[in-house]
Amino acid sequence: MFDELRELYQEVILDHGKSPRNFRSIEGARYHAHGYNPMCGDQLEVFVETDDGRITDASFVGKGCAISVASASLMTEMLRGKTVEEARRMFDGFHEMCTTGGDDPLAGFAEEDADRLQVLSGVREFPMRVKCATLAWHTMNAATKGIDEVSTDDGLGAG
Amino acid sequence: MIRTVTFEKAVWADLPYKFEAGTPAIAQSVGLGAAIDYVTGLGLDAIGAHEADLLTYANQRLSSIDGLNLIGTAPGKASVVSFTMDCAHPHDIGTLVDRAGIAIRVGHHCAQPLMDRIGIAAAARASFGLYNTRAEVDRLTEALEGVREFFG
Repeated sequence: MFDELRELYQEVILDHGKSPRNFRSIEGARYHAHGYNPMCGDQLEVFVETDDGRITDASFVGKGCAISVASASLMTEMLRGKTVEEARRMFDGFHEMCTTGGDDPLAGFAEEDADRLQVLSGVREFPMRVKCATLAWHTMNAATKGIDEVSTDDGLGAG
Repeated sequence: MIRTVTFEKAVWADLPYKFEAGTPAIAQSVGLGAAIDYVTGLGLDAIGAHEADLLTYANQRLSSIDGLNLIGTAPGKASVVSFTMDCAHPHDIGTLVDRAGIAIRVGHHCAQPLMDRIGIAAAARASFGLYNTRAEVDRLTEALEGVREFFG
């Protein structure tokens, strides 16, 4: 019935949505922030632990739809081993991929990483769902900048 | 309302008159009249009965879906059906049924304290009006069965 939605809900997304990885908090993590998606009511917390500027562990807890949970889960898996700087660049590329599409937004990333980010590119065709995919990344990005709380609210104020 | 207008400048009337538009809402008044004629022509009782029938039918059809939880079943309620599904978040439900040509509302419905009270983060909600039909309730039911297959 919903075959054309398989592009949006790829198997990897359904899998991570149902069984999120790194779904736990990290006590005393180096970076930590709350992310809110006020239009949806989605909320999550992202934790990032580092050692000498390199991410040694990343995790999240919270509530959300299949897409936001899968995106958070995939993100925490990918961050390990990256420097904080690389993580932020990854946020930029991912964000561009989900929104404007840009000109090869994932250029310069390792093939394995680009492939994993690519899984969520289907949201670009669903403007209402872009924020679901980017919430965890926004939250991680804010955390590494010392911001405790981030909201994807675009000021429209609907509830 | 203005006090004086020239090509060079405009001077507004004193408060509160400066915020009063000069032209009354003529088109809107005519439109409201036509709407009242339409609704009274059908009869409020008839509209109420139609909506109540759709609500009863929707409750009956939706409660047959495995893992679907109806929220709010008090007698005399308006013709809206709120629900959650064990297999999918309301936003995922919304995206799918949209593809089946059905628009529902999803999220916290500007009622976050109520969501907390019920113990959910979000809900899906279908509302019925005088223009809806039982066939559309059937279509919603089929789409929700499809959601269950998709995420189940």
